[in-house]
Amino acid sequence: MHVSIWREVARSNVGRAGLLLIGAMVLLAIFAPVLTPYTPRENTSTPAFSPPSGDHWLGTNDARQDIWTQLLYGARTSLSVAFGVALLSGFISVLIGGTAAIFGGLYDRFWMRVVDATIAIPDVIVIILVAAYLRPNVLFMILLLSALSWPGGARVIRAQTLTLKERMHVSAARTFGAGPSHLLLRHLIPDLGPILVATMIQDARRAVFMEAGLSFLGISDPSVMSWGKMMQYARVFTYLEVWKWWLLPTGIALSITLIGLSFIGFALESALDPRLRDREKEHDGWI
Amino acid sequence: MEEHNDRHLDSPKVVWDGGRAVARAKALFGRGAFLSNYLIAFLLILTLNFTLPRLMPGDPFQAIYGEEALLAMTPQLKAQLVERLALDQSMGQQFLAYILALAGGDLGHSYYYNQPVLSVILDFLPWTLLLTGSALVISTLLGLFLGIESGYRRGKRLDKTLLAGLMFLNGFPDFFMGIVLLLVFGVVLGLIPLSGALTPYSGLSGLPLAIDILHHLLAPLAALVLVRVTSSYLLTRNTMITTLQENFILAARAKGCSEGKIKYRHAGRNSLLPVVTATGLSIPQMITGALFVEIVFSYPGVGLLLYNSLLTRDYPLIQGILLMVTVVVLAANLVVDLLYSRLDPRVSHAR
Repeated sequence: MHVSIWREVARSNVGRAGLLLIGAMVLLAIFAPVLTPYTPRENTSTPAFSPPSGDHWLGTNDARQDIWTQLLYGARTSLSVAFGVALLSGFISVLIGGTAAIFGGLYDRFWMRVVDATIAIPDVIVIILVAAYLRPNVLFMILLLSALSWPGGARVIRAQTLTLKERMHVSAARTFGAGPSHLLLRHLIPDLGPILVATMIQDARRAVFMEAGLSFLGISDPSVMSWGKMMQYARVFTYLEVWKWWLLPTGIALSITLIGLSFIGFALESALDPRLRDREKEHDGWI
Repeated sequence: MEEHNDRHLDSPKVVWDGGRAVARAKALFGRGAFLSNYLIAFLLILTLNFTLPRLMPGDPFQAIYGEEALLAMTPQLKAQLVERLALDQSMGQQFLAYILALAGGDLGHSYYYNQPVLSVILDFLPWTLLLTGSALVISTLLGLFLGIESGYRRGKRLDKTLLAGLMFLNGFPDFFMGIVLLLVFGVVLGLIPLSGALTPYSGLSGLPLAIDILHHLLAPLAALVLVRVTSSYLLTRNTMITTLQENFILAARAKGCSEGKIKYRHAGRNSLLPVVTATGLSIPQMITGALFVEIVFSYPGVGLLLYNSLLTRDYPLIQGILLMVTVVVLAANLVVDLLYSRLDPRVSHAR
């Protein structure tokens, strides 16, 4: 079953567009040092607020720094936070949701209470509050965002595990004496794949948004290069023409990342939801 | 005649009264459990509010009151603050003093504005309520309308265009959408004011004042609606698609109901409940969206206040704002939860 879902995502227009956008962003982030001769903090010899040119593809900012370079390194921050949160939060979701469904009983009820209470917390407020005092760097931001985003995933994973548990191959394995860890690793996680990735993509999208938002508010680690921070600085200079190659490209880079992630997520979800399928076996991911 | 069509089957009568009592007790217990989730969430925020400043290294006054307070510090003031925060006593007593002060409506004192935090927030709150409230209503209604039309024409050109277009708009973060609108309509075209909620010292009243306020509200509102309409649109569209496959739609068609009636009275009505619920649950996101959009448009609401207090490190004000928003968000979610189980009996049975 899971094989065909991946194929459907890769074949649908929306899914393909999303994968393309994110793939391009990842490449830009990885090859940042190759794609630019400058470093993001370097004060070049070009005058401040220079328009785009051959040397500076997106011109320079008020401190004579190369904007294209900052954009590339900002992608690194955004994507590392996204990747980190998706992995960590996905891992905790499987660990807690999966074991809660397998063991059941008091253990299950305890974790579901924790999940319910955590979901009731308005997470953006907690994140702003903590960030206002502690000015998180990338690692701390990953921990903070994951701590608040795993419960949604855990609930979905638990529900899915409960239905998978009743499948024939799982009960067969159990009859042969398979333990919980074997069941989880060999039989449940492979089938959880698509839905796990769907929640991880949602978490990643939220992480990119929150990282940009916090830097936009000026409450992330000042030494980290970030799109949100670039927009915060650039916003002050809207009376100059410089917004065309400073503010706008940065916002577009951020939006492309977010749109790419939501497209992949949407294609995945509409491939997963049988009710949204047509008689012709098409789904909305095709658009 | 169509009214009879989607009438529910009568539920089976409960014969054994004891079973009903047990069910009611269970429902009550369930209600208590989910009320306690809100309580736990609220306590957690209170604890964070209390603990974070006290965890900070250095002078506790700076962490609790910000730099402005240190400039105005005199020995008398210091003694007064120590007493008020119970700083010379144990952590437990400090926490108790904090909770008691909050219970009395004392959110602390902002030394930047030199006013009690509560009165500063209340000055800025009406604009946020106006922006968030109108954005919530408009995006829900628009989402319902577009979702019904789009779901009804599934796979047609209009549906595909709407789906792709709204998915694309939803990808923008609210503050960037705001920036784009501000740049295009404010900076380039000069059609909208660049900041504020009304023209200062204009001496307007009555209708001209209302128009002035609307003129300032338009762009921030549009930014929020454009980004947020997608969730209610997608939900309505999905409900439409599943509902249109039901038998009662076929029956309505067979009877010769008009397209409009099938669309809105038979199929569309089924989307109302989930969409209203989703709207209620999306209030937190809407408020955070509004906070960011206000910053972009320098719209004098709580978001701008928060931004300024973050810049000046006015910690009492930051805490007060976030606590206030928490209370609003939790209250809104609680009301939605209660209303929903009242509106849709299936939910309270499932609990």
